Parts: sequence; C-alpha cells; structure tokens
Amino acid sequence: MDHATTSTPALELRGLTKRYDDGFLALEGFDLTVPAGEFFGLLGPNGAGKTTLISAVCNLIRTTDGEIRIFGHDHRVPGARRLIGLAEQDINLDRFLDVEETLLYHGGYYGMEPAHAKRRAKEMMEIFDLSAKAKTRAPKLSGGMRRRLLIARALMHEPPLLILDEPTAGVDFELRLDLWQYIRRLHGEGTTVLLTTHYLEEAEELCNEIALIRGGQLLARDSADGLRAHYGVDTLADVYVKAMAAAA
Amino acid sequence: MSAVQTPTIPDPAGHETLVGRHRGLIALTGREVARVTKLWQQTIAAPVVSSFLFILVFGLSLGSRISGVDGIDYDVFIVPGLVTMAMVQAAYSNNSSSVFQARFDRYINDVLASPMKSWEVNLGLSLGGAVRAVIIAVVLVLLALPIVDVPVREPVVLVLAVALSLVLFSSLGVIVGVYAQSWDHASFVQNIVIVPLSFLGGTFYSVDTLPSPWQEISHVNPLFFVINAVRYGFLGVSDVSVWLSLAVMAAIAAVMVAWSSWLFATGKKLKA
Repeated sequence: MDHATTSTPALELRGLTKRYDDGFLALEGFDLTVPAGEFFGLLGPNGAGKTTLISAVCNLIRTTDGEIRIFGHDHRVPGARRLIGLAEQDINLDRFLDVEETLLYHGGYYGMEPAHAKRRAKEMMEIFDLSAKAKTRAPKLSGGMRRRLLIARALMHEPPLLILDEPTAGVDFELRLDLWQYIRRLHGEGTTVLLTTHYLEEAEELCNEIALIRGGQLLARDSADGLRAHYGVDTLADVYVKAMAAAA
Repeated sequence: MSAVQTPTIPDPAGHETLVGRHRGLIALTGREVARVTKLWQQTIAAPVVSSFLFILVFGLSLGSRISGVDGIDYDVFIVPGLVTMAMVQAAYSNNSSSVFQARFDRYINDVLASPMKSWEVNLGLSLGGAVRAVIIAVVLVLLALPIVDVPVREPVVLVLAVALSLVLFSSLGVIVGVYAQSWDHASFVQNIVIVPLSFLGGTFYSVDTLPSPWQEISHVNPLFFVINAVRYGFLGVSDVSVWLSLAVMAAIAAVMVAWSSWLFATGKKLKA
C-alpha cells in the first residue's frame, strides 16, 4: 500500500550512541529516519543493536549521546512518549493484573479518561480474541494469549507509531498470520510501524522498507526489491547473508 | 492513498482538572493499592495477626507481672510501639518487593515508557506501601481497643509522626527496590536493619531505663525517634523531646525522598 507522508518523520535518530556501564558499545553515531506512515523493518543478528535502539526510543535506557525525535518532538518530553506503542520481545505483563486490568491500567498510565479506556479495552479484547479471558491474570494465559495481550496493550492508547520487537517470536503459524493481518490493517489506517524480526519472510511480507544493522551500524536500507538489486541476489536471505558477511 | 497527519502532543497542563492532569499517577497508585488488596492475606492479615499476638502475649499475659512505664500500664505502653513497628515494616517491605518484582519481571517498562513524569512514577510507587501501612495501623488499633484502652492524647503530633514515618519508610522501600539485585537484598534490610532497630528503639521498654552507654547508643537509632514520636501522639509520653523526634524524622525523610527522586529523575539503576 502506498502512503502519502508528511515532511515530519515518525522517528528520527541523529548520532545515537549507547555505551552500557560494562563498556559494551551497542550503538555508535547511529542515524535513522523512519517516514510517517512507513512499515519499516529492522533486521540483524542477536546483539546487532535492534533492542537497544528501541529501548532508547522508548525511554527504557539512558542514551550516551545523540538525538531522538518522535514526530518532531524530543523524546525526553514526557508527552512524546504518548505517540509510541511498544510491544517488547519478552513477555513483560504485570503478574498481579488480569487481562482487562492490564489494558485499563496501561490506559491510565497514558492519560486516557476512564470511560474511554473502558471502551477501548473492550474493543482490544474483542479484536485480539481475549474477551473470554478478561478476568484471567496474565501468568495463567497461554503463550499465544500473552503475546496477543502484549500487542493489545501496546495499541491500547492508539499510538501513531507502533514498535514491535520480534512480535511473532515463538508463536504458532495461525496466530502469526492473524497478527500479520491485524498489523497490516493498522498500517493501512495510517499507523507507522517499526518492526524487528528474525523471520526474513515476515520482513519481506510486511515491510515497505528494510534496514540491515550489525554491530550498532546501519549496513543498508531499501525495499526488499532494492536490496536484492543492490546485492545482486535473488532472495532476501541471500541479501542478509551477504550483508552480514561483508560487515563481519 | 491515505494521508498521514503529524500527531501533536496533547498538553497535560491544558486539562481543566487536577485529575485530568495526573491520570498516570492516579492509575499507578491504583495499581499499587490493588496489589495490596489482592494479596490481603499476605499484606494485611499476616502483619496484623503477628502484631496482635504481641499485644495479647506481652500485654495481657506478661503485662500484669510487669510494672507500668512512666505511670502507664505496660499493656497500653507497648501498643504505640507495636503499631509503629507494623507500619514501618509494611511501608518498607511493600514498596521494596513491589518495585523489585516490577523490575525483575520488567513490567516496570510499561510505566517507564509512559508519558508520566519521573516524580509521578516515584510517588505512585511509594503510595502503595503508605496505604498498606495505614490500613494495618487502623485495623490493629481497632482490634486492640477492646483489650487495652489506648488513648490519643496528641492527635496533631500523631498525624505528623505517622505521616513522616510513612514518607521515610515508603521511600526507603522504593530505593531498596530499585537497587536490589535479588529478593535477599530486599529482605536483608528488613530482617537485619529495620526489625532489630525497632526492637532496640524502645518498642517494649523505655530507653530511659537502660544503663549507660546503651541509653546514649539508643539515641543514634532512627527508630527510637519514630517510636517515641508516635508514642507521644498516643500516650503523651516520650523518652526525648517530641519536637527533636519529629525534626530527626523530617531530616531523614527528606534525604530518602531526595534520593528516590534522583533515582527516578536520572534513571540510575532503573534503566541500563
């Protein structure tokens, strides 16, 4: 699907550097622009810096240097964080809350009015087929349900930028297709999506543009067709292998 | 082709009401209080029963064989100290375990990634322990009343002393919850610091009856001032000037609040 975009990017990183306390340099002078309305994929091996990048954008780590702008707003402004929805790679649901409470409290944290949050939570539970488990606490849900709740929580406050860190890791094929369908629909309605995944077919299936990163450096970014043409290969898997080998 | 609008940030200051401006804080406080009420057997019933047993055993059984303190019956004398001990332990342990659990399971990320300000996160996480401590104190006093006649002679001092002790120990709990790397760290402070200092701070006796140098040493125990301030609020007696007690509590509470505020403002220990 083609999208017209405004001149303000959904996400803009300038010179982003993150050195952890143990001295590990996860990102160094990283620049990236994700246009509004894009379905953008981040591919790279474990330790490439994908999760560090996402954590920096979402205020979950202290950055060493650089600038992050969300739809033109400095990410340190608390209100800018209302524009982002995050579903992390690991399931990090509040063990003391049931499904409905998880969504309602999240809505509260993001400043939603209680009546609006209630309506939205009901809608999210229907969309993600969680209504029957509304009063079940997170630890008692199946793995697939927990994954669905994690994504429902990220979408609860209707963020214009959705960040999905390996959303289909460990889920069955059927749920993966369901999630693809829903995320595609969201993107079609104008939500910008930043997706990290280890599944190359997922990136090819969903993303308009794909960035390859390794060792905290951006190796290449283009559409799947553009990347194949650039590396002179037939498949995205070959692109990945060639790009990673060149950067090693 | 669909056009994508550049979203604007709603201005929280533009909300008409105080509630509208601080929905995040209200939600986080609600979550912390919900945790206390959902786990009521562990968070309310257990500390109330154990403290009430002290009142029964020490007050009723042994109390008649122990002469009064400062002209007050022993079973009455120990109630303020026991209430204080239960409150400070509850405020501390609630917040240290809640914050550590949230870090350990990483659901604190849902709060840290939200548009809440750092002071709102700090306050929201602190209030759960304070609410739990107040519930325990009220239930304990109500249970004790049919058995021992505990007066409230200085209500203003009592309110001040309770408020300062809750600020102090709620903040300490949050701080330890942020620094702790294991459950052992959180329980170490409770078992090796707070409980012994509560016992040595005059819960069961007047420090004035101790020989030198134990009497002087007791004066460097912060719990000595907390217990005496609360006891003055209930009974109108104290081993030390109540204003000195309140001043010491206020000073330590201010340090704790400054420390926890710094942790949330900088993200130290909360964010890698």
